[in-house]
Amino acid sequence: MGMSERIKTVRYPKLEHFSEPNVITTTADFIFSWARSHSVFPFTYGLACCAIEMLTSGFARYDIARYGMEVFRPTPRQCDLMIVAGTVNEKMAPVLKRLYDQMSEPKWVISMGACATSGGPFYDGYNVVNGVDKVVPVDVYIPGCPPRPEALFQGLLELQGKIQQHKFVADKPALADAAAPAEEA
Amino acid sequence: MGLEVGSNPMSMDAIAALLAERFAGDLADIRIQEPDTIRTKCAPEQLKDIARRLKDDPDAGYETLNWIAGVDRQASIESIYHVYSWQTNTWLELHVDLPRENPEVDTVTGVWPAADWHEREAWDMVGIVYLGHPDLRRILLKDDFIGHPLRKDYIDLAENHPHA
Amino acid sequence: MPDEFVTPEPDEAVKLALRRIDEATARGEGSDADGLAFNEVVVNMGPQHPSTHGVLRLVVTLDGELVKDVIPVIGYLHRCKEKLAERRTYFQYIPIVDRTEYVASMNCEWAYVMTVEKLAGIQPTRRAEFIRVITGELSRMASHLVAVGTFTADLAPLGTAMVFYMFRDREYILDLLEELSGARMMFNYFRFGGVRYDLPDGWTSKCRDLMKRMPKLIDEYESLVDDNAIFLQRTQGKGVITQQDVVDFGITGPNARASAVALDLRRSRPYSVYPELDFEVCTAEHGDIFDRYRVRMDELRESIRIVEQCLDMLPKGPVQAGALRAPYVITPPPGSCYVGQENPRGEYGTYIESDGSRYPYRLKYRDPCFCNLQLFPKLLSGNKIADAVAISGSIDLVLGGIDR
Repeated sequence: MGMSERIKTVRYPKLEHFSEPNVITTTADFIFSWARSHSVFPFTYGLACCAIEMLTSGFARYDIARYGMEVFRPTPRQCDLMIVAGTVNEKMAPVLKRLYDQMSEPKWVISMGACATSGGPFYDGYNVVNGVDKVVPVDVYIPGCPPRPEALFQGLLELQGKIQQHKFVADKPALADAAAPAEEA
Repeated sequence: MGLEVGSNPMSMDAIAALLAERFAGDLADIRIQEPDTIRTKCAPEQLKDIARRLKDDPDAGYETLNWIAGVDRQASIESIYHVYSWQTNTWLELHVDLPRENPEVDTVTGVWPAADWHEREAWDMVGIVYLGHPDLRRILLKDDFIGHPLRKDYIDLAENHPHA
Repeated sequence: MPDEFVTPEPDEAVKLALRRIDEATARGEGSDADGLAFNEVVVNMGPQHPSTHGVLRLVVTLDGELVKDVIPVIGYLHRCKEKLAERRTYFQYIPIVDRTEYVASMNCEWAYVMTVEKLAGIQPTRRAEFIRVITGELSRMASHLVAVGTFTADLAPLGTAMVFYMFRDREYILDLLEELSGARMMFNYFRFGGVRYDLPDGWTSKCRDLMKRMPKLIDEYESLVDDNAIFLQRTQGKGVITQQDVVDFGITGPNARASAVALDLRRSRPYSVYPELDFEVCTAEHGDIFDRYRVRMDELRESIRIVEQCLDMLPKGPVQAGALRAPYVITPPPGSCYVGQENPRGEYGTYIESDGSRYPYRLKYRDPCFCNLQLFPKLLSGNKIADAVAISGSIDLVLGGIDR
């Protein structure tokens, strides 16, 4: 058998092949989550006034670079995190969905400000979508109108906590059939 | 060089008298709104002609269009043109009343090029049709929006809210 | 991720661009002087784009790097403000007006509050008028810092130091305004008959200190770009707004003043206490990008002068006309009024019609950026795409005002 055929027969182990968490998967969890959470690339999805606060948080006084998130990329292909800052309306919603779909996994969404959370002061407008969670799944909501940069940072730190909960192999729940007779009774 | 503000200052009464004289009968109900605006009305059929004459007037040429608003007055629909005269540094507010069932009026894009988008917005929001407009389509709302929101009888339709 | 990604159908604007290409080809303009056919491509810029300053969509017809035609598509931030006015009382509407031109909130509030005061016949107190001028000019300075900062950030994507310095200094101004009103950006500070809060203790001395420091900071910004050969090459002679454009499209503000049109509503239609203040109307000659930048920097210096004069002339007295609490429900008599003011971007005004009830009958905004944006097809065509980005940055658009 030639070298190339021998290479093709090698089966590479994947972390997901483990049936239960062990020291290898938890260490991998820790390393990957630490890397992902401390170098998130946000997507500049500033729509309205909150965008100015998001911009301000990137500059000198409220430095977002101390959290490793100063790499704001304008293209969804290179981003992990979409910070929806501003009001989403019916004209913008399909565009938002399309851009969200273009981001690659793993991806997270932060809804920044009252408008993105629930429509904000414009909730009864005929053209306003009451919250971006009607269009894309949201991980962290940041209230405020506009939220101060410190509030944005609190939201980002919450998101870091959420990112760090990733597990390659989840803990399995206890076997159900041992408890089933008790449940049916 | 060039464009000066207020090169021919006139008092408001003088401007009102000038308009009454030159546009006798066409501009109705000329009123002065302090400190520097004149309100007046005209009929929709004469709008194009009056707009051209207002712009070309040698003493108080209203050369710049400030804004156009559509207002739903329930009995009728009104198209308001707010224009500015550089020579006298005054404004003129021209009200044109249109029938509610068929709010059509000539476009003034041939006179004031700025009217392009202002008329599109009035069409979008109130539903006034500007005859002869080069490209009368929605500007602020999505293309398949149903209805004209700033009308008083506008009902929020579910079709306009696919993402509710 | 969806299993298959479907390319969306071209919408009205793209169809219009394609139609225009077909019409030009049919008219015989489909090739250049040497007979080489143009290879025009319709490219979509936005609504999510780092350089369009908000959710502006430009459907650009490109021939290589050359922009042939631009169709701006707006409405991605349309928040139904004019309809909301009919459902909010005059007082409840003040925070919504804030959010129109969100970088210059004080000026937006001022225009609305002045219109309602004229309708209702309320006269603000003298101390409040001076405080309004101070906060309006501070807001103007903050707005110009954002405008010029993001404009230079467009020229080299966030690679210039200027935007960092300008945003740093904008923080000093926002600190002052936050101490005064409680918010960093949308202040909700103006009331009918005055302002909400009086100046806190020590505020005037802090303001004076900042006004003393600002000229040196402005010198610092100018030293970064004024002699930079690349900046000058990219900005001089490009994107010229002619005086005919100013008349035809109703261009106002620094964009008009850069074309040697001395139109400043603080002078030509004076309001508040501006007649008593000594300041110059900053103009420039050529109307290109560099002149618009120059006019904004000059206006920063003029604003400093105005604030210092107001601090010197500030009278004592109440900051609210009438009762101690703000009039929460006012019912102006039936009538209508339009007041246009000098916003950092041009003439910003509100036309309000009242029918005697607690809610406005009709509220219409006159937004400067809406009028300025109409000039885009004419202004951007014939330039390279990089110049188009520079020109659109120099016009200083805020989509909150355009879309309302």
